[in-house]
Amino acid sequence: MAVATKTSPIADSRASRGLWTDAAYRLMRNGPAVLGLCLIVLFVSVAVFAPLLAPYGPLEGSLVDRLQPPDLSHLMGTDMQGRDEYSRVLYGAQVSLVAGVSSVIMGLTIGGSIGALAGGLGGRVDTVLMRFVDVLLAIPGILLAIGIVAWLGRGLPQIMFAVAMTNAPIFARILRGSLLSLRESDYVTASRSVGASGRRLLLRHMLPNSLTPLIVAATLALATAIIDVAGLGFLGLGPPDPRTPEWGTMLTDSTKFLREAPWLLLFPGAAIVISAVGFNLLGDGLRESLDPRMKR
Amino acid sequence: MTAVRGGEPETLLEVRDLLVRFRTHDGTIYAVNGVGFELGRGERLGLVGESGCGKSVTNLAIIRLLPKPAGRIEGGQVLFDGQDLVKLSESELREIRGRDIAMIFQDPMTSLNPVLTVEEQMIETIQAHKKQSKTEARARAVELLGMVGIPQPEKRLKAFPHQFSGGMRQRVMIAMALALQPKLMIADEPTTALDVTIQAQVLELISRLTTETGTSLVLITHDLGVVAGMTDRINVMYAGFIVETATTGDLFDLPSHPYTVGLLHSMPRVDAKEGEPLIPIEGRPPDMRREPTGCPFAPRCAWRVEACWSENPSLAPLAAGGRIVMTGPSASHLIACHNPPLPDEAELGRPTRKGHVPAAAPEGESDELASLAAIADGVA
Repeated sequence: MAVATKTSPIADSRASRGLWTDAAYRLMRNGPAVLGLCLIVLFVSVAVFAPLLAPYGPLEGSLVDRLQPPDLSHLMGTDMQGRDEYSRVLYGAQVSLVAGVSSVIMGLTIGGSIGALAGGLGGRVDTVLMRFVDVLLAIPGILLAIGIVAWLGRGLPQIMFAVAMTNAPIFARILRGSLLSLRESDYVTASRSVGASGRRLLLRHMLPNSLTPLIVAATLALATAIIDVAGLGFLGLGPPDPRTPEWGTMLTDSTKFLREAPWLLLFPGAAIVISAVGFNLLGDGLRESLDPRMKR
Repeated sequence: MTAVRGGEPETLLEVRDLLVRFRTHDGTIYAVNGVGFELGRGERLGLVGESGCGKSVTNLAIIRLLPKPAGRIEGGQVLFDGQDLVKLSESELREIRGRDIAMIFQDPMTSLNPVLTVEEQMIETIQAHKKQSKTEARARAVELLGMVGIPQPEKRLKAFPHQFSGGMRQRVMIAMALALQPKLMIADEPTTALDVTIQAQVLELISRLTTETGTSLVLITHDLGVVAGMTDRINVMYAGFIVETATTGDLFDLPSHPYTVGLLHSMPRVDAKEGEPLIPIEGRPPDMRREPTGCPFAPRCAWRVEACWSENPSLAPLAAGGRIVMTGPSASHLIACHNPPLPDEAELGRPTRKGHVPAAAPEGESDELASLAAIADGVA
């Protein structure tokens, strides 16, 4: 009966205009979330406009100019093959963005389907699917990804699938959990009492109400996906073409020149950190604004 | 189906020996233990009892909405319009839910889907059973909202549940329940979550609409004041059993089960004599995880005799002889009691007969009457 006496979650006098409008309003007043959003906007626009922003092509360079320290013509110096590091970091954002977003979407599709089947159907289906998910969860994420890339071979699609598979079990669990709690909720019982079919209950009543935790998890997963993709690159399991400007691969390549050219580690590393922090801050902010009870 | 016989309406719903158990990790919960009653067409039946006595579970079992997988119907029949609902398949039941049997839930704040507009939810209900275009269903929804007294129904239809007050949401729920003119409406504590001022309005609305449409009503409540004005007949439930059933008038005139007497005496009344004490029912309701043996009310009953501890009495007519009538205004007054209170004892709320001492609890049974004597002394 606590529900009946619950006061409005919004402290100010502004009238409520719906879940999403309210959530957006709360998000905009959350400092760290706005900072995260700015970092993501920066990251995405760099990826999209890399060809316009970069002074050189990602593969352009001559060995004569190799390992030059940062100066005005090469803002972040040059790498061991004389390519402009600044341009390569900008182009690297493309690879990270595409790999990160696609792997999360792939993970959401796989994990979401498993979670929806398990939570929606229940019973034996639920048990079997969830034990499978438990097995996947028991393997450390990066190890699982390495295994999948080793099994499927190197290549960007394989990397995306590998990272997707590390995220999918988490999404499956989250969705199944919220579906299970919704299944016993009053309005689902009420919809059943007017004769709604099982499919309708799941698609129209339960799924839309269980999306918020999934949105938060997906945003946070973008951060880990970017790190995972870079991690695979760093371990030598990056894109098959070694010239591809991938942040993780760039880090590995530059470790050999740690003493001569430390900036080669600094800039791709900073790029990874900035994009990951951006998604983390936004994810936390989303969690708080979508669920007002989380706020103190 | 037989026609109406001398003031006895045609039976719409007949529940026979309904057994509901919850199998949990903590053990079995004996929620409903052989409940049986009948409901006539257009009749309004109250189901009264304290929290956890099995009122809601009985009704969830009738339309088979018990929480799965723990809740199970383990016996009995639910005959609705001649069909046994216990035996129907899920898809056959879906046809009946909403179309023939509608339900109103306790908490209107949580029984509407927060992400869909009222329009979408109402149209969904209508279209689930009737081949109707969206425009037709929409027109019907507007009509229904107007009927339950929601101002500007056209405009309010577009609103989300959170833009309605609790009372208004319950009106929306009532409108949805009545959308398909069901034969039976089950209202599970429809006003418990509402303000007192709104309660009366909502009850009046349910009462008026069900009378107008000839819908039978099962009203579940723990508030005797609510059932008094709203129902034709009352079943009093305790610990998963029906302990007394009578027409509303008979029950208030001549409460004959110690539990009903206790309920009536623990409720403040406007017409109470000055200085008349409120007598609470001693002790706590029984642990539903124990399989019931004797009378479930024995530990709290001042009228109990030896037999109460060992043998659970079945429902029997208060006045011996004559035919047992289950529905309608001439329904028989049935009680399940070995030693029913006499009318003057019911009036006073405690046993007054000479030499009566509540039978001592046998080994292993809890006696909840410990402090009753003290209270009785204080009164005298």
